[in-house]
Amino acid sequence: MDKVRSHFLVCAGGGCVASGALEFAAALRSAIDKQGLAEEIKVVETGCLGPCAAGPVAVVYPDGTFYQKLKAADAAEIVEQHLLKGRPVERLLYKKPAGDEAVPALGKLSFFKDQVKIVLRNCGLIDPTRIEEYLARDGYLALAKALTEMTPEQVIEEVKKSGIRGRGGAGFPTGLKWAFARKAQGPRKYVLCNADEGDPGAFMDRSVLEGDPHSVIEAMAIAAYAVGAAQGFVYVRAEYPLAVKRLGIAIDQARQRGLLGAKILGTDFSFDLEIRMGSGAFVCGEETALMTSIEGNRGEPRPRPPFPAVKGLWGMPSLLNNVETYAAIPMIILKGGDWYASYGTEKSKGTKVFALAGAVNNTGLVEVPIGMSLGEIVYDVGGGIPGGKKFKAAQVGGPSGGCIPREHLNVPMDYETLQELGAIMGSGGLIVMDEDACMVDVARFFLEFVQDESCGKCVPCRIGTKRMLEILERICRGEGVEGDVERLVALGNRIKDTALCGLGQSAPNPVLSTIRHFRHEYDAHIRAKRCVAGVCPELVRAPCQNACPAGVDVPGYVSLTGEKRYAEALRLHRERNPLTAVCARVCFHTCEDKCRRSTLDAPVSIRGVKRYLADQEVTVQLPEVRDNPENAARKIAVIGAGPAGLSCAYFLARLGYRPTVFEAEPKPGGMLVQAIPAYRLPREIVEREVRMIERLGVDIQTGQRLGRDFTLPGLRQQGYEAVFLGVGAPKGARLGIPGEQAEGVAEALTFLKRYNLGGAGRVGGRVVVIGGGNAAIDAARTALRLGADTVTVLYRRTRGEMPAYGEEIEEAEREGVTIRELVAPEEILVRDGKVAGVRSRKMVLGPYDRSGRRRPQPAEEAPFVVEADQVIAAIGQVLEPSEFVDGLGLKLTRQGYVEADPLTGATSIPWLFAGGDAAVGPSSVAEAVGAGERAAVGIDRFLTGEMHAFWRAEAPAAVPFDPNADPAPFPRAPMRMLPVERRKGTFQEVELTFTEGAALQEARRCLRCDYRECK
Amino acid sequence: MGDKIQSVAELKALAAKAREELEIRGAPKATVINVHMGTCGIAAGARDVLACLAAELEAAGVRDVTLRQSGCAGLCSQEPMLTLTDKNGTQFRYGKLDSARVREIVREHVVGGTAVANYLIRL
Amino acid sequence: MESGCCSCEKGREPTEQELLARLDEVLDDYAGKAGALIPVLQIAQGLFGYLPETALKRIAERLGKSYSEVAGVVGFYSFFTTVPRGRHLIRVCLGTACYVRGGKQVLDTFKSELKIDVGETTPDRLFTLEVARCFGACGLAPAIMIDEDVHHRVKPVKVRELLAPYRADAKAEVA
Repeated sequence: MDKVRSHFLVCAGGGCVASGALEFAAALRSAIDKQGLAEEIKVVETGCLGPCAAGPVAVVYPDGTFYQKLKAADAAEIVEQHLLKGRPVERLLYKKPAGDEAVPALGKLSFFKDQVKIVLRNCGLIDPTRIEEYLARDGYLALAKALTEMTPEQVIEEVKKSGIRGRGGAGFPTGLKWAFARKAQGPRKYVLCNADEGDPGAFMDRSVLEGDPHSVIEAMAIAAYAVGAAQGFVYVRAEYPLAVKRLGIAIDQARQRGLLGAKILGTDFSFDLEIRMGSGAFVCGEETALMTSIEGNRGEPRPRPPFPAVKGLWGMPSLLNNVETYAAIPMIILKGGDWYASYGTEKSKGTKVFALAGAVNNTGLVEVPIGMSLGEIVYDVGGGIPGGKKFKAAQVGGPSGGCIPREHLNVPMDYETLQELGAIMGSGGLIVMDEDACMVDVARFFLEFVQDESCGKCVPCRIGTKRMLEILERICRGEGVEGDVERLVALGNRIKDTALCGLGQSAPNPVLSTIRHFRHEYDAHIRAKRCVAGVCPELVRAPCQNACPAGVDVPGYVSLTGEKRYAEALRLHRERNPLTAVCARVCFHTCEDKCRRSTLDAPVSIRGVKRYLADQEVTVQLPEVRDNPENAARKIAVIGAGPAGLSCAYFLARLGYRPTVFEAEPKPGGMLVQAIPAYRLPREIVEREVRMIERLGVDIQTGQRLGRDFTLPGLRQQGYEAVFLGVGAPKGARLGIPGEQAEGVAEALTFLKRYNLGGAGRVGGRVVVIGGGNAAIDAARTALRLGADTVTVLYRRTRGEMPAYGEEIEEAEREGVTIRELVAPEEILVRDGKVAGVRSRKMVLGPYDRSGRRRPQPAEEAPFVVEADQVIAAIGQVLEPSEFVDGLGLKLTRQGYVEADPLTGATSIPWLFAGGDAAVGPSSVAEAVGAGERAAVGIDRFLTGEMHAFWRAEAPAAVPFDPNADPAPFPRAPMRMLPVERRKGTFQEVELTFTEGAALQEARRCLRCDYRECK
Repeated sequence: MGDKIQSVAELKALAAKAREELEIRGAPKATVINVHMGTCGIAAGARDVLACLAAELEAAGVRDVTLRQSGCAGLCSQEPMLTLTDKNGTQFRYGKLDSARVREIVREHVVGGTAVANYLIRL
Repeated sequence: MESGCCSCEKGREPTEQELLARLDEVLDDYAGKAGALIPVLQIAQGLFGYLPETALKRIAERLGKSYSEVAGVVGFYSFFTTVPRGRHLIRVCLGTACYVRGGKQVLDTFKSELKIDVGETTPDRLFTLEVARCFGACGLAPAIMIDEDVHHRVKPVKVRELLAPYRADAKAEVA
């Protein structure tokens, strides 16, 4: 058989070569030879295909099968199965990041589906070392057209019409630049290509040079014709040896074919091209510095004007564009400026290549129409964030750019919008960051880079960035002081105004933009000495402890548990959180999300270990209390005996105070006893820890409701010197749809409270729960236990976006709850005054909203009815502070909660402190415990002017650790659960404790991030 | 490496020639012929059928056919087999192929547009 | 461009005189061309593996530039080095996880063991020491890389042990 029937394209871009593409290609060739297929199958090494994270990748034509993560050892199997027998090798097919579904063909991948490839049109499709393949893709036809059918003015006109702007950074209109260079007078002119792509994270220029070098050569020839130049230079970074090599081959081929040199294509036009290599100076990406470097000098920028178009290389008029800009030119000439301008937005035309990197599934190069939203790029093309983590920000534009936070996921990625947000398009580096990124550290990183690369010629850049870096470094070390942020802003603005070149002027951008969007993180570093992301080494003892809202010494009590030293472990836990047994059951365990063990296998089951530990406590032990008769004599009121109030009272008591707690309901515990069902949290567990707090000298008075039984001014009159407001957010939000008042419609908190406190609650027939939070799931599972025939949860967003605890949702489904995602209620249907059903509408996902999630929108289908005998609304909780703060002038937040200093709980009224849900809206138990502790310290400081929080002193690790030992090899142990069939009709606790063996093994999985080498 | 390109016409001629070579990387053509290449098919001579088919298509100057191979179709007794999917998406399955049959299928069906009823496998 | 590790070639290392002769050939090609200095320096570094003073002087003389101008250009670009690079590159990770698990102490031990600072090369040109950011080995921090090999959980006391095989290889070669 002498006809080639299949082409096997192996990506030989830089990324894939580094992961072994060439070894695979060699093995493939030899396997093909062995099977005698050499005549039929052609192996081609192409430029970058884009999805670098999956490399080495390959495409097999004609079927378009897309393979990933290839190894030399896979070659024989592919040849035998696929090339010989026509069966693609399933296990090597590209997999969708979200699941295991294999995607057979290139065209079906979402990664490629939404892209428009103009600049990257040939990358990954042709062999860059063979000019014939470029010719087959209409190569040099644009040059031919320009030389034989167009005047230089017409060429420039076409480029102007396309609206293309410089893709290297500043975004200056390319056609205009060409017109200036044409108009300039000089004995010689030059065309230059900037391939000194230095922004960390951007590599599109490298990919074009490696994968399609002829497109740049052709474009430079066209540009030379248009502006009247005969000589060109491509300035390539020294770090790109492969690009230099391939460009060199391409230039040689073009010369041999007469496409460079004298009298090109039989016309009078002559043009030649040379490569100049950079030598590792970032500033040489700046246009004037680049030219001084080509001239053979230190690559320092020079002031503009004169602009390069007038006085550039060796004083001659010079045209400088970057690789990406040039690569689009042949298509613009061939297909017309109007065609190119049909992509993009009003002001930003065409396509832009982004280098997607960081916390995103499909890292690599993507080319999209300008104006695509950031969310679409990150989630649709990029496949979302790995590990289901949350998007925090995208850093766009490298060291000259800025960060775009979650609220702006829906903005179009065009020049103007990015500028408005304090970022820039720059060269198109797009680094995605999840919640594990510290924005202060990110700013520090970029500034360190700029400071390293500053050429030192002008003072603002050399000294100014150094001062900024010093401030950032001290903030990251936990030594920041009030006013540092203001100092950074002032310095940054001054550098912007006074630096000599683009590098210096844009150097403060990463700092200024992170301050603009993430000011709270700077404040947390400076004031609370806290790095929420767990990044800054001096502020983070261990990532789990740092992630705990109550600051519990996680590695400490986990390792003590592993040594069976349970009493000490409990004591250590209660140093920072009195509700050990409660949290062992209901904590959201943010600690586990940050557990470093997950980089090895899976996080330590910290809550599981804690549950076992809490179950070992026979008689409740009391924590260290520092008696203080002076404090004991002072009157402090705590309003609300929920987790925030209990925690505040506990820590006050440990300082020797004797606070009085006022609770509106007949039982203390707040949401712990009113909302959380007993199958998750048995009541005796709560009672036990409440009693422990009472034994410290805390007086809890139940049945005392603020506004009904007492008032704030009244407390003051009774001599209370300080008051902590921990009343929660106890009101359920209303649905706001017709029929809400009908009999059979309940609000989740009321429904749960009625059963939990009153023991009553008749449920029957078909129950529909509206909402997706924990209250919704609690209500659904409670209804099922109280005798409902069916329970259906309607949620207007997707299941993955439900705020409820994932494990709870799974358990609910196991128990028989039906969850219907993307369904929104429109009306409660009423028959004879009673609920009959819920008229609902299917939703579809629309654009991204300010919470960074896709906003649900009504689908076009007709509404449908979900039949129901009872409806429970669980769509949120609110605080109605008007009941008790009227006339006091208490400041509230925009959302209607009490405004309180997150560090001290202080409100706008000096003697009033607040924390927990009342201050931040519905949140977790651990958050409330932490807020209570901070308010207790705040109150003590308000009363005494001093800091006495002895429990905050860091204790050295109590358990020895051998850093040389290998990590314990056990996998994460799953929690044991009560069998589903035994759950119906009872409120018996569902989650069971570990066996001792399992608990000890699990505890020993801890990597002991708290351990430090001796200083 | 070739000589200098002297004119636009020469460039276009070269491009046309190069394009043929790269055709395989384009979208699938209107008609797709799949030769079944399971172990049984190969044992029965599917590789010769594939080679013959390629040669016949070439000889007949047929350009709008994508030639593919796939796994066993589950009818070992009929091997070697091919499945032809025409531009309307209708599938025709031919069995017990040899070079004479392949030639006839190319002539009658691919070029002529009429299925060769005698060799069709009816299910 | 070749990395210029001439000493790795089989057989005898070229003498400085031979290298200078080769440099002269390059200078013959470039003399008189505009903007020749940087390409010539790149080629010279490829030949020598670094830029010795003798080579710089020769380049200055042949291109008609002052030595200080040449040295100024060399100093500006980080790619150029006037000290020889080592055969093995040691990179110590100072990412967060490694930093808190003693990466800094590991780095200090390498410094004292090799008697060089970060960015420097040992006099026998066997090792160059650098600092790196995260290699993604945080679970087993602190981590270091020697050439392409990642080593986990490196302790200061293990540093000498880690270097031993490379030193032994070098000795064997000499023998």
